[in-house]
Amino acid sequence: MKTSVASYCYQCVAGPDLMRVDIEDGVPVGIRPSEAAEAIHPAHGKVCVKAFGLIQKTNNPHRIKTPMLRTNPKKGRGEDPGWKPVSWDEALGLICARLNAVREKGLLDESGFPRVAASFGGGGTPTSYMGTFPAFLAAWGPVDMSFGSGQGVKCYHSEHLYGEFWHRAFTVCPDTPLVEYIISFGANVEASGGVCGVRRHADARDRGAKRVQVEPHLSVTGACSAEWVPIRPKTDPAFMFALVHVLLHEVERARLDLPFLKERSSSPYLVAENGYYLRDPETRKPLIWDRKRGQAVPFDTEGADPALEGSFTASGLEIGPDDTEWRHENAPVQTAFAKLVEHVAPYSPEWAGEICDVPAETIRKVAFDYLDHARVGATTMVDGQEMPLRPVAISLGKTVSNGWGGYECTWARTLMAVLVGALEVPGGTLGTTVRLNRPADNRWSSVVPGPDGFMNYPMNPTKKGEWVESGPSRHAHQTLVPLAANSPWSQALGPTHLAWMWQGKGAEHLPKPTPPDVWFVYRTNPAISFWDTGKVEDAIANFPFTVAFAYTLDETNHMADVLLPECTDLEGLQLIRIGGSKYIEQFWDHQGFALRDPAAKPMGEAKDFTWISTQLAKGTGLLEKYNAAINRGAHGVRLYGEGWDHSLEPGEEHGVEEIWDATCRAASAELTGGEAHDGLEYFREHGFRTRPFPRARWYLYPAMVEQGLRFELPYQERLKRIGAELGARLHEKGITWWDRQLREYEPLPHYQDLPGLWSQALEEAYDVRIGDYPFWLLTARSMQYSWGGNVAIQMIHEVAANVAGHGGVVMNPQAAARLGVEEGDVVRILSPSAETSGRAILRQGIRPDTLLMIGQFDHWKTPFAAGHRAPSMNALTPMLMALTDATGSGADLVRVRVEKGGRP
Amino acid sequence: MTRWAITVDLSRCVGCQTCTSSCKHANATAPGVQWRKVLDFEVGSFPDVARAFVPVGCMHCEEPSCLEVCPSTATRKRDDGIVTIDYDICIGCSYCIVACPYQARYRVDAPEPAYGRGRQMRHEAVRADPKRLGVAQKCTLCADRIDSGLATGLVPGLDEAATPACVASCISGALQMGDLDDPESNVSQLLREHAHSRMHEDLGNGPGFYYLHERAGPDAAPAGPPPMAEDPPGLAAVSPRLQTQWDWRAAMNFILGGSGTGLFAANMLAGPSSWWIALLALAMVGVGLAHVWAEIGKPWRFLNVYRHPQMSWMTREAMIALPFFALGGLGWLMGVAGLGPARLAGAAGALFALGFLYAQGRILRAAKGIPLWRRPEIVALILATGLAEGAGLLAALLVALEWPVPGWLPGALVLLLGLRFVAWRRFRTHIRRDGAPTKAIAALNACPALTFAPQAALAALTLVALLPLWAPVGELALFLAGLGAAASGWAFKYNLITRAAYDQGYALNRMPARGAGKSRAGLQPGWTRA
Repeated sequence: MKTSVASYCYQCVAGPDLMRVDIEDGVPVGIRPSEAAEAIHPAHGKVCVKAFGLIQKTNNPHRIKTPMLRTNPKKGRGEDPGWKPVSWDEALGLICARLNAVREKGLLDESGFPRVAASFGGGGTPTSYMGTFPAFLAAWGPVDMSFGSGQGVKCYHSEHLYGEFWHRAFTVCPDTPLVEYIISFGANVEASGGVCGVRRHADARDRGAKRVQVEPHLSVTGACSAEWVPIRPKTDPAFMFALVHVLLHEVERARLDLPFLKERSSSPYLVAENGYYLRDPETRKPLIWDRKRGQAVPFDTEGADPALEGSFTASGLEIGPDDTEWRHENAPVQTAFAKLVEHVAPYSPEWAGEICDVPAETIRKVAFDYLDHARVGATTMVDGQEMPLRPVAISLGKTVSNGWGGYECTWARTLMAVLVGALEVPGGTLGTTVRLNRPADNRWSSVVPGPDGFMNYPMNPTKKGEWVESGPSRHAHQTLVPLAANSPWSQALGPTHLAWMWQGKGAEHLPKPTPPDVWFVYRTNPAISFWDTGKVEDAIANFPFTVAFAYTLDETNHMADVLLPECTDLEGLQLIRIGGSKYIEQFWDHQGFALRDPAAKPMGEAKDFTWISTQLAKGTGLLEKYNAAINRGAHGVRLYGEGWDHSLEPGEEHGVEEIWDATCRAASAELTGGEAHDGLEYFREHGFRTRPFPRARWYLYPAMVEQGLRFELPYQERLKRIGAELGARLHEKGITWWDRQLREYEPLPHYQDLPGLWSQALEEAYDVRIGDYPFWLLTARSMQYSWGGNVAIQMIHEVAANVAGHGGVVMNPQAAARLGVEEGDVVRILSPSAETSGRAILRQGIRPDTLLMIGQFDHWKTPFAAGHRAPSMNALTPMLMALTDATGSGADLVRVRVEKGGRP
Repeated sequence: MTRWAITVDLSRCVGCQTCTSSCKHANATAPGVQWRKVLDFEVGSFPDVARAFVPVGCMHCEEPSCLEVCPSTATRKRDDGIVTIDYDICIGCSYCIVACPYQARYRVDAPEPAYGRGRQMRHEAVRADPKRLGVAQKCTLCADRIDSGLATGLVPGLDEAATPACVASCISGALQMGDLDDPESNVSQLLREHAHSRMHEDLGNGPGFYYLHERAGPDAAPAGPPPMAEDPPGLAAVSPRLQTQWDWRAAMNFILGGSGTGLFAANMLAGPSSWWIALLALAMVGVGLAHVWAEIGKPWRFLNVYRHPQMSWMTREAMIALPFFALGGLGWLMGVAGLGPARLAGAAGALFALGFLYAQGRILRAAKGIPLWRRPEIVALILATGLAEGAGLLAALLVALEWPVPGWLPGALVLLLGLRFVAWRRFRTHIRRDGAPTKAIAALNACPALTFAPQAALAALTLVALLPLWAPVGELALFLAGLGAAASGWAFKYNLITRAAYDQGYALNRMPARGAGKSRAGLQPGWTRA
């Protein structure tokens, strides 16, 4: 019998996308796009290649089919865990006993860290597969999420933090449906932008939009761009500073968006001699120079005509760190914009060209093209509202926007948008989601006034008495990273590699590092996906009790104590939010909910995650709190609202379908303002339910205008202040190992020699001569694999092989010839800290000083994948404090050398 | 009329392989079988490099070379242009596979579960199609979806359920499908709006796959044939690859069939010298054909080979074999019995032997997917070498058996060696002129069997036999020359079938303009003129 069910694919951060699963005789046999979603989904209801891997994923003979207990207490790569199949009762009994013991001891350990920790992979996507587990965690209490699976080292970290700070942009995106010119610094949107990204950029190309791809290797996205500029690795800030230089020093000022600069940015704010704003002593508001009155007035003075540039003499109050105050009388002050102009004066295209190994004329042309396409002054109508139209944007890739240099790049990118008024307006640079600000599901509503005419931002406090000396996370995100805030996402966005690094000897003057008593791990494999994987592996092996929700055996759950087989993507039941404005390119004209309807009975003894969560809640005596958390919407939908209440009875155990039926009813009510209350059956029939999402909500501009707010650019007075305060707090505690990071808190970032910084850090850490490591080793995302946890799927492996670069190390043929390396030769790749080997793949589309290893492999346990011998840069990349930036992230690159020979 | 076709907007395609995967789902193809796939092309050298992604598969050609060669008529073309395979009559000879210049066809002989034998997954069991084992398979353009869609009033290319799975799943909108004969169809409009080309246009198949490389307009660059690139690094996946469908067993058919028919003809011309030699020749041809039988996927359907005499040279070869064996066998029977009309039967058999030999040449000529085989000069070369091998074998046999050697035989052998050499030279010269897969040329060069030095040596050795020398010297020379004439032909053919048989590979006429970028010349990787 042939049937089909509705489902979604949220295997990567660029989802979710909607699909149908075809079933024959009870067996899921095929995936196809959701034709029904064609009208509401930006990519016409399509799903990408990864979704098609789900049939094999579901039916994979290598799946874990029963709960398993470890019988060998010794843990390590070389140890056989001695897995013993057990019943669910036994497995859950054991876990609950452990958890109850933890509750008895106290939820925090002697160092103040949560005794229970959890790690989830894929940029938050696991929540779309873990049913009500978030409600269990919420019921539990403090859970440490600081053991990263790749966050901070594989994500767009500076973009996340500074993006949220400047324009509620945890992820930043061009307004692709309208954009005409994009400068993309290594952003690999055709591999990692999901189907919405791919479709929208294809449409953009079709209407003649131009994208210039600036990156050391010709990625899939480079291939799809009008032009490729092969820049020297990690020199992007120089290129971008030169773009700013051209706009400020080589074109007429009037070509910039002067009204935007004056009214929507901090450009006219006056900066006093210590680098802080000159303020009105009474209101403590920053001052601007009013050309009408010929005097300094508070920035929000009605009818003022702000001077954009110039030096003035003015009086007022300057407020420094920890409320230090300086009174100035007739002191020399400059506008922030004037300081910016001065600041970027040395950063000419000629200067940058040398650094970037790119002709100065190329940089200059890109800057002029950007300006030409910006159409300063143009407007468009959106939802009946007139808005500026600025169809230019800059995108940043992962290795550009994490680690050192990330601040410079994200600042320059956002500034480039501000200079032409292209920030948060149609056609320009947009944020698409918030994770640190609240409400999490509504970027627009998160725009609330903060100090000095800017948006509010929930910084971790740095003032004396408020600073969190040691917070409940093993990477000290509240202690070290003010910008990381303290939302439920903040732990995952803190300096996650510090949690792994410190598992050994810890950090001076911070609480003793402890392994968590219980570690839950789901849809992540940090023993492969993090850096310095050997070290991560050792740390995991040292965790006393690990519960892995396991699909197959893998390198991380090899060290686990209990394996729990959960219903995978096509077997579990769940309802999630879709549309509105979400990750990456997922900003829709609709919003609502979609159902993941089971397409098959669970294989073996696999259980629905919601069932597992309920049993854990029951077994730990938390059922009431768990149900309350569900009612509050911890699993995605609040079950009650104005005029409706589909709450679950708190004291009772509820079945999986019962929980999701109530959730569906609440979702229907939410979408219809309480009119409809359709449950599971409705969603089973239709797959999803949506209502329109106003396009005007894609842009923050109207909200900023309405509230009279300014974007906090170009000058970073607030960051300068909190940096100074943070430094003071750390020094008071005797911590000096974060001093290098404190230098990032510059009001206007200076160029720093990043290649030199890497060289120095590696030379110092490993006592090597960096000249012996002449190549930069980079990685790139692969649409077939990224975030998918799908290395064990044969079909994915097969079709990915059609895309050049998978499974080996990509080299430039000239560089290879110099080493006597030919296509297919096995080569050793050695970094100062480790080595790996793989087959040489020769391509012209890569700089001769650069190597590339796509994706994350090097598997030694995962069935099927372990046989591939595909190299990965993760083992070669060290975790070093010297290479950790102020946001707590590191850039995903390392210096290596290549030798012929090695493991075949 | 309707002519279904696919357009690929190369500017849109991102190489994601969603179509590849979707096709694998829709058609439950075996691991490694990709009816639809997307190639990864790179052109230029650092730093001036461009990269493009090129979907390929069955092109549903106007003049499908697979259809022409198919001996069983399993491959047919529908009125709407879709090229189909009837799994129930296909004999699995793989001739269509080597005849397809787009490498679109596959043959799978046994179930290959994705995770290996004994680990068949549930969906693999549910969707297993034993009919597809041992026969040719390829993209059907999802004809089932088109037909059922049309039956319910849907429009293929517009309605997902009636559209090929690859097109329906394409996330970038690069793949579109529609009716070429309808000027208002989506594909007709796209072709009007864009500059476009078809792959391997010069081969004349008329593929139903159009690659759009930029918007049409006065500035749009036409897409001429792409420049050849000898051995560009990193492009092995799109360069010609050695075909493996026709292996040593196929080579044996050309070796034994060629030598056998040549021997039979030469023997008849000689008198016949011996009816036992005629029997040997018949046996050689028979053993050659038995090798083919052992190679085909459905050996018990071998009679289906006779279903396509209108076009297929494989059918014709098999048909000619019948009177050849019948007359040759009859001649042998009568000859051994000493009956008069034996020679008449033998002579008639010899005519069919020549026909068989010619058919072998035409079989290779029609294998359009293998650049070295499809050369027009191959027919003369196969004929000449078969005859030279036959004459050589006859001479060697007569000497070895100490039977009288007709006086004209050494001279005829020299003449045939000469003709073969000329045919070989023409073959090589034209390859040099027109180009061929670089590796095919290398393989050809690695086997010097038919080149001047050995052939001149053989001719000289034969001439020695004509000199008034001590008889044993002349006989030895003739024996060696005859054997050499045969062996060099065998070496050439073995090499041609198993080592130099590189397929056409892929080519891209024009790299796409990506958005506001510019298009540029594409390339034909792994090809050279030398």
